[in-house]
Amino acid sequence: MLKISPKFVNSIINAESLEELFPLLQNAIELEHATIPPYLTALFSFKPNTEAEIRKVIHSIVIEEMLHMTIAANILNALGGKPDISNPNFVPNYPTHLPMGIGEGLIVGIEKYSPELVKNVFMEIEEPENPIVYEKTAKKSALPTFRTIGEFYMALQKKIDELAPEKLPGDPARQVTSSFFDSNLLYPILTKHDAMSAINIIVEQGEGTTTSPIDEEGELAHYYRFQELYVGKELVKNPTAPNGYSFSGPVIPFHPNNVQPIFPNTKANMLPEGSEERRQVDIFNNSYSDLLNGLHRTFNGEPEYLNNTIGVMFDLRLTSQKLAEMPFPGKKGYTIGPSYEFTKTLSEHEILS
Amino acid sequence: MSYLNVPRLTFSGDFISDVSTVNNDPQHYNNSSFEPSFQQFGKGSQNGWWNPEGGATFGFQNCFVKRITGEDGTSTSDPLLDGIIGQVVCGAEGRNSGKMVDLDPQQQMVSQLWGVTFRILTAKNELLLEGKIEPTGFRDLQMRQQSGGRVNGQPLGGSWTSVLEDVVWGDLAVNSPFLLALKNKTQGNKLSINLNGFGYYYSHAEDGRFSLGRVLGSLGPWFFNEPQLFAPTRRLYGILSNGGSIFFGTSNFLFDKNNARLSIDMGSSFPVSNSIGNVSLTTNLYLAVSKKAINAPSSPNSVIVASTDIVLIGKIEYQNGTDWLNKTSAILDFNNLTAEAVAALENNQLLLLGGSSQANQYVVIAREAINGLVVRADNFVQRLDTNQTNEVRFYAYQFGKPLQNASLDITLEPATPVSPKNENTPPICDIPGNNYPAAGLSFDANISTDENGLAILKLTGNRIDSPRDYMDGQIYTLDYQLSGVTPDPASGSMMPDAFIAIHLRDYFEIPEKPVWSDIKDIMVQFAHLYPIMSKFFIDFSDPNAMIAKKEILTFAFDRDIKDPIYMPVTRDLSENKRLTILKWLENPIIDEQVAVTKQKTIAKVNVVEEIALTETITLTNNQERLKNAVRAKNGSNFSSPEITNLFEF
Repeated sequence: MLKISPKFVNSIINAESLEELFPLLQNAIELEHATIPPYLTALFSFKPNTEAEIRKVIHSIVIEEMLHMTIAANILNALGGKPDISNPNFVPNYPTHLPMGIGEGLIVGIEKYSPELVKNVFMEIEEPENPIVYEKTAKKSALPTFRTIGEFYMALQKKIDELAPEKLPGDPARQVTSSFFDSNLLYPILTKHDAMSAINIIVEQGEGTTTSPIDEEGELAHYYRFQELYVGKELVKNPTAPNGYSFSGPVIPFHPNNVQPIFPNTKANMLPEGSEERRQVDIFNNSYSDLLNGLHRTFNGEPEYLNNTIGVMFDLRLTSQKLAEMPFPGKKGYTIGPSYEFTKTLSEHEILS
Repeated sequence: MSYLNVPRLTFSGDFISDVSTVNNDPQHYNNSSFEPSFQQFGKGSQNGWWNPEGGATFGFQNCFVKRITGEDGTSTSDPLLDGIIGQVVCGAEGRNSGKMVDLDPQQQMVSQLWGVTFRILTAKNELLLEGKIEPTGFRDLQMRQQSGGRVNGQPLGGSWTSVLEDVVWGDLAVNSPFLLALKNKTQGNKLSINLNGFGYYYSHAEDGRFSLGRVLGSLGPWFFNEPQLFAPTRRLYGILSNGGSIFFGTSNFLFDKNNARLSIDMGSSFPVSNSIGNVSLTTNLYLAVSKKAINAPSSPNSVIVASTDIVLIGKIEYQNGTDWLNKTSAILDFNNLTAEAVAALENNQLLLLGGSSQANQYVVIAREAINGLVVRADNFVQRLDTNQTNEVRFYAYQFGKPLQNASLDITLEPATPVSPKNENTPPICDIPGNNYPAAGLSFDANISTDENGLAILKLTGNRIDSPRDYMDGQIYTLDYQLSGVTPDPASGSMMPDAFIAIHLRDYFEIPEKPVWSDIKDIMVQFAHLYPIMSKFFIDFSDPNAMIAKKEILTFAFDRDIKDPIYMPVTRDLSENKRLTILKWLENPIIDEQVAVTKQKTIAKVNVVEEIALTETITLTNNQERLKNAVRAKNGSNFSSPEITNLFEF
């Protein structure tokens, strides 16, 4: 179970106005975002047209993290706040802790796919408060004295219920929806009830419920989907198993040779200035920063701008895959990883000075 | 008015153009002879050429505002005088930067920018100015690098002239006197923009500049009743060839009689000795007006003028090194022209002269168009579907003034023959010819200009049925000229200048219930030509893969054509084919697996009289020049000059 610094949950519990929740929702947006680069990096570390099944699983999770980020931003907007997406502080400096002191010792990096990465990082990130144990490989639940991401969201939900008027004060025109998400999952947050249901979606997709690995849409929660990858078998219903499920489904094959040897936590400045490789990393970072700028517009009054950002996401993907094929200058046996660094526009005077 | 008019801003920096090259060889469009190796890197025209995994991205990089020129014709690069100096020129925010694509594998000489946004920002990411570049193809392809072309692999340069549309002035624009003046002067919420590109990299050179080039840009006011996709300027053509290359091939210039000013853009033409814009020329260069007509075509033999034959305007104060070109964009303003020069410029040709060792003699490097005549098609790249009628705008000028009631002749170039497999490099399959069937197009052979020098050609696409077999539709080239006036032989230093490039798409009906085999050939071809997509994203030849991604595909195939992520990126599908793909995605039916597309041979020409033509015809002079220019431009036939003593007389 991922620990979260209790001060954040306490801040929620002690909040007396919706305004006091704004920074906490901003934290939630940052948290949801912080998981996306690590997941995407693993996803795009496979050689082209290999490991379709594993990619499908990671893809399904990362899309939901994008959904969660959008929901968190919608809630912040609904309460009258303003998401802040386009600034250097929004971007974690990988390898790093997750926002809000989450996971204490857990360091999240940008690395190629491996079952160990899934177990040691991804499953840790997504671990429910009390994971249901289906296999010996799953950790036993830790002591319940810590606050969890789930608790954070639950506290938020409770506080919104307590403080918010039935009709939320934010401008409905700032709500972001998309044809890429089911309208049962991504909808305008206009009422208190909308906000509370939306928080349930985040928690259940991430953690499942306390009694089932399945969320309300009948999908396995992230934790269990990752566990499938680690175990190498699908988690399926099994009436004879103690909790009704077991990892006795079809094998999910994995061939380590299908993973590109990308250098963990690549940074732009590891590559020689002026080299083609450096330029590709810079292009990646510029696109990434530009994407955040576009999302900032999206979440700050131009919801239709989301469609424009889709192409940038696509470019990021292609550049990431191209980088994964480029030998890393000076690091024999490695290729280049995407570095997810925020770049700032500089005027000519600043460059010269 | 135009980008050369004042108030004017110049900027420079890099552009990225990550074009894809598998589609450079028409033979690669033939699904039945396609080999996986065509998606691999290859030298010259081998395999998939020099950038098979290109994604067609076009964008500005490291571009900054360098200089502004005010209403009085004086320039400054001092940020203390106007804060816009040194600010950032970049592309769109939060969306793709734009695309650069050919019209067709058989018309690669009008590569167009699509979906490119232009912005000027402060370093705090605050908007000063934003606009969308109206799509246009490059023109005025010319030799730029007198040396050093081997490093980057492309010694030629070209120009995109267009307008910025939907211009948005940032809140901070009021702090820039220049922007305020520009805003006051321009019309129709548009601005005129010109991009002179050169120094482009086909090579994976050590300096890491693969797929980058340099851009010298300028921005000025736009006025109603003037063209959008070229500047209504006078034109100077290079006539002195060196080792087979013509430098100073085409330069635009503007004569402002009221202000006794001449402004010339040599950013399109000034010779450089590396890819960054180093100037190493040492010749004294002058602008002058010729007292007598000089109509000489280009030649290695010098045309000499005596000082008594000209009215001297002034010396071109260029500097050696890389700063001059990149700071000034090589745009020069000659203010306070003498009364004699003003009078002479009204009806006489401008000359670019090189100082000679003989006293009182000059060598003519470039001369103005014969009789000062400039006729150009504005929207000269056309995509046409069956029964679609587009209006092509032509403008005619003489010595910079609209030429009224002028008659223009429009002619379809003769059909070109099929190029048989064994004559192709490499030999893969037959390549169809172009310009047939002639009945594919309807248009008036003669049109007249109005009081603004404007003539409109109505161009209608008629039904054609796969004259090129494995490539959709047909490529047609229309030539135009003033009636009875032979086009200036010096115009277009690398390729013909006065043509319209048309892609007429095949007749196609949207099936009521499209099945996979209705779109299979299109998608397989797509998978072949764009390995960046088929390798990293989706195998378009697999209907199930398409179904798995149908939401995002529907999204991409349903964008506005000016949206950078419109699919297909080459914008070469007819509306009906595009709608059929969308319809199939909505209800994807996979019919019986059709056997691999059977080997097709090129139907020679499906109109009897044209068969005779295509089998006997030799290419016209224009067609031959175009063919050679294509090879020089697209990298299949590399050659680059190394001239150390250019214009040393």
